[in-house]
Amino acid sequence: MTRRIPLILVLVLGIFGAVAFMIPHPAVRGVDEVMRNDVIRIITAFSLVLGVGSIIRHHLIKVRRKAEHWPFSYVTLIALAVSAIIGLFGGIDPDSPGILFRAGGVGRFLSNFHMQTLYENIMVPLAATMFSLLAFFMASAAYRAFRARNFEATLLLIAAFILMLGAVPLGRMLIKPLPAFAEWILTVPNTAAKRGIMFGVGLGTIATSLKIILGIERGWLGGGGK
Amino acid sequence: MKFWEKLLSIDRRWIYVVIWVVVMIPLLMPFEIKPRAMPPVQMLFDYVDSMPEDKALVISIDYTPDTEPELHPMAISLLRHAFATKRKVGILAVATVMSVGLGESALRQVTEEFNSRATTREDSIIYGEDVVYWGWTTPFITVLLGMGERITNVFPVDYYGNRTDTLPIMRVLKNYDDMGIVVSIAGSSVPLSWVNYAHTQFGVHMGCGITAVSAADFYPYLNSGQFTGMLAGMKGAAEYEQLVSEKMVELGYDWSLPRKGTEAMSSQTAAHIAIMAFILIGNIAFFVTRRRKQ
Repeated sequence: MTRRIPLILVLVLGIFGAVAFMIPHPAVRGVDEVMRNDVIRIITAFSLVLGVGSIIRHHLIKVRRKAEHWPFSYVTLIALAVSAIIGLFGGIDPDSPGILFRAGGVGRFLSNFHMQTLYENIMVPLAATMFSLLAFFMASAAYRAFRARNFEATLLLIAAFILMLGAVPLGRMLIKPLPAFAEWILTVPNTAAKRGIMFGVGLGTIATSLKIILGIERGWLGGGGK
Repeated sequence: MKFWEKLLSIDRRWIYVVIWVVVMIPLLMPFEIKPRAMPPVQMLFDYVDSMPEDKALVISIDYTPDTEPELHPMAISLLRHAFATKRKVGILAVATVMSVGLGESALRQVTEEFNSRATTREDSIIYGEDVVYWGWTTPFITVLLGMGERITNVFPVDYYGNRTDTLPIMRVLKNYDDMGIVVSIAGSSVPLSWVNYAHTQFGVHMGCGITAVSAADFYPYLNSGQFTGMLAGMKGAAEYEQLVSEKMVELGYDWSLPRKGTEAMSSQTAAHIAIMAFILIGNIAFFVTRRRKQ
């Protein structure tokens, strides 16, 4: 029974979700709207509770067991608590203050740290720094591994050169039609190859979805599909 | 050890140093670049520029801070373009809650640019009348499909906590029928979801702003007409900035506003050349040492 109910739910809702997308009848649309606007949102709200609960539990266990890198778990928990408090009560920016702004003492001090202040001064620089490290690794990898060892690798190398040069103004200065040629590579051969891959992926997705909806593929239930 | 062999086994930290130098110097001393718009950028610009006046431009801020340097200039340029041509603007985030601060930042910057120079109501950008920021809500499929029926149902309150049904702009911006185009700016495949749900189901015009590294994935949709236009990477941002800058001068907004995408192109040019040089040197060293071994 514990397996049959989820399977029936997936079968009914999976078929309804696909059918509702294609039938514009008001009766079908009405039910579909309730499913999308209410039911999915309620389920998503549960997942938020589960997510926050899970991350807190995970890091508390790490701290308690003094697992590897456990001090960083404190950082995560403190950051979670502080950003949640400021996000819930501190307001968005100085023009939209939260209830902390009206409070005295510590609350008034904390109200200087709006969500947008935290975001622009911590989140943006940290995330941009992490992503920009990629340039260093790409340069190093290109130097060490990008070799014209065979015909296919040489083709790849030539295409990469044209695209890299076509993406900067120097390309046009050196060879005037180069940016247009780089655009052609993306528009014609790239599109042809991508479409082929996309058809394959699309058909694979439909097949996998049907297997899940019809209960043939049961891996998502846990227990290796037995 | 011979020269070429030494070169092949060079410490990677030297490569990091070279990249750091070639990126930093043009950032500190940028050389002048005048981007020329490629067809995907020109198509998006032309559509936004010539869409019916009663239709709004909607910008979906679907990128996160990691891709901010590449994608944020696109959002800024689109806002400048819309405000200069007196279009209504709706902004939202559907992909992740991490995007909402970037939308707020772009909106605040461009609104201040216009309002600090405005002398009349016509020149001013008034929140709730000319522009609305709906913020973020989840799940995104609900948002994309729900906006085809009524936006106020999906976003009962805006990002600042105002009830959307009390905002004057929402009287003329009810659903996709009132949108001239939706431009999804993303570092992921979210624009494809916009195509699947908003364009296919409701016929709304779509544009996208994406990172250079993911551009190849979007060309099939551009060729099929599912995207009206596309801004790809820093180059796309710089090209759109150039077109908007020329348009603003034409309309009398000769303000010489900062153009982050164009400024960063010097650095990107230097980095591309450095990486190409690395590949060339690496290959020469590889073939020379292989021949010697043979």
